[in-house]
Amino acid sequence: MTHNIQILILGVTLGGVYALMASGLTLIFGVMGIVNLAHAAFMMIAAFIAYFAFQLFHLDPILSIVITMPVMFVVGIVVYRLLFARSVADTHKRGVLVLLTFALALTVEGTLGFLFSNIYRSTNPSYASKAILFGPYYLPEGQFYATLMSIALLVGLWAFLQYTRTGYAIRATMHNRTAAEVVGVNVDRISMFVFGIGMALAGASGSMLTFLFSFYPSKHWEFVAILLSLVVLGGMGSLLGALIGALLLSVIAAFVSAEFGPTWSPVTFYLALFVILLVRPQGLLGKRPEL
Amino acid sequence: MATSDTTVRATAPPAAGKRTLMTVLVVAALAFPLLQVVFGGLNYWLHMLLFVFMNIAIASSWNIIGGYAGYISLGHNVFFAIGGYAGAILFAYFGVSPFIAFPLCGLIAMAFGFLIGLITLRARGPTFIISTIALVLLTKILLDNWDYVGGTNGISLPLLELPVDLVKLPFYYLMLLLAVGAVYLSFRIRRSKFGLGLRAISQDETKAEVAGVPTRLYKTLAFALSGLFIGMAGALWGYYLTYLSPAIFLTILVGAKFVLMTILGGRGTVSGPVIGATLFIVANEFFVTQFGATALNIVATGLLLVLVLVFFPEGIVGTLKKSGHLPRMLDWD
Repeated sequence: MTHNIQILILGVTLGGVYALMASGLTLIFGVMGIVNLAHAAFMMIAAFIAYFAFQLFHLDPILSIVITMPVMFVVGIVVYRLLFARSVADTHKRGVLVLLTFALALTVEGTLGFLFSNIYRSTNPSYASKAILFGPYYLPEGQFYATLMSIALLVGLWAFLQYTRTGYAIRATMHNRTAAEVVGVNVDRISMFVFGIGMALAGASGSMLTFLFSFYPSKHWEFVAILLSLVVLGGMGSLLGALIGALLLSVIAAFVSAEFGPTWSPVTFYLALFVILLVRPQGLLGKRPEL
Repeated sequence: MATSDTTVRATAPPAAGKRTLMTVLVVAALAFPLLQVVFGGLNYWLHMLLFVFMNIAIASSWNIIGGYAGYISLGHNVFFAIGGYAGAILFAYFGVSPFIAFPLCGLIAMAFGFLIGLITLRARGPTFIISTIALVLLTKILLDNWDYVGGTNGISLPLLELPVDLVKLPFYYLMLLLAVGAVYLSFRIRRSKFGLGLRAISQDETKAEVAGVPTRLYKTLAFALSGLFIGMAGALWGYYLTYLSPAIFLTILVGAKFVLMTILGGRGTVSGPVIGATLFIVANEFFVTQFGATALNIVATGLLLVLVLVFFPEGIVGTLKKSGHLPRMLDWD
């Protein structure tokens, strides 16, 4: 029992970080209707920024989000302007746009691989190797702080969507793009802004993955597949769904990992994806019938 | 059925130039190895050509689901791996040469395709694309941990014992056979009621369903059929390399190249994948000899795909056809 509760704690604390990683992905899908397969590749860019900030200037990886978030926001705006602005409104081109994000992911992966080579890296701030003990249980400090920061960012995102005019416009666009446009929402600007926010969230995730996982450029496929499975489980475009999916799958993966070894942890996510497609293709909270 | 057939034929009258071109190409391809037998020293060119043939077969097959039906699969190298490993197991453990077993390997890949398709094609659009990426990663982990086929270390096959000048010839002719077979299959599908249904699905699946197209069945069949020749190619390619490992067959880059070749040529057309595969393999070979098969190769593949998607989303054949500049003999639809 103690053993199981311990695994549950580890699963939940990692789930918070997965939820942050997936939030940008699901937000962009909700507003623009495209799955950004390059999401984790952009996380890798941020991870390298955080890594070098730590190595060269001893900047704490969690604090490095003050650099990675704005940088990735700007990158997101530029990428949106260059590649997506023209065709995002055309629903027939969405298949092509997904492919475009795929091509973008390859380009980013190859560039990072060329610049920094595919060796395993991670940052080691003092808390990464410590644990908080309470009773018979322990909580790895790194995971704990990362999850706290993730929750703080997610709450901030939720409050922004809930209580600001822009957030209101974003929710309207997610709900019905055409209707939002009719009532005067500048959906193009909203899309651009949301793409920037999504990338900024990817930036924050990238900063924190540096001390939670060892990373290398081509690892982003593993990340993106994990994120996509939990987003599909939660229902594409639903933020709450992404959170539930992240916690659920992360806990299951922690148990699988404890039982069969860490190799099989990602398999949990991939298999879950196929099970969801069999049982409930639209996901837990998804409502769009065309999915 | 009859009506749709006649209308399709009426818009595309049989062109003599097309048939001549095909005959010339196939006869030249059949005759080329004679130069090797007489003069020798052409092994590099035989290698390049058989690699082109294999990729023509692969791109034409991918086109069935990714082009005609509009379901973009980023994980078709899974079929390549299934065919390859089926051939390797049959050869290493049961002594059946891939030269005999390759059709069976194709059928095995197709059967897997049918089962996988039954699950993943329940989803439309983006969710399907996601499932194909997950499929590659999942298959890689499974093969990495399957000791029967050597896990991450891979599995070695015995060398084909022929004089060095002749050793590539059986592979050359079989890959040529696959290329011709896959293009013929693609052509027949394009002209059939099945192909018409697939194109209806790619236009608007809901309307297609309302109009009476059995969409689930057609999609799943198209997915399975697209695995047939890729599986056969995998079996022959594994034997050709005499070594199979998950890292060779199951990286995202391998599947990405299948997609890029087809889109470069023009997806949804019969001649597009042929032209795309040929051009891409030549360009890729040039790139690899200049810069090596490093991370730069991934950058180049990604950038080329970005450029094609932004500027020529319909590919070479599609773009030319739209503007009316496509030479008659290259229009095989």
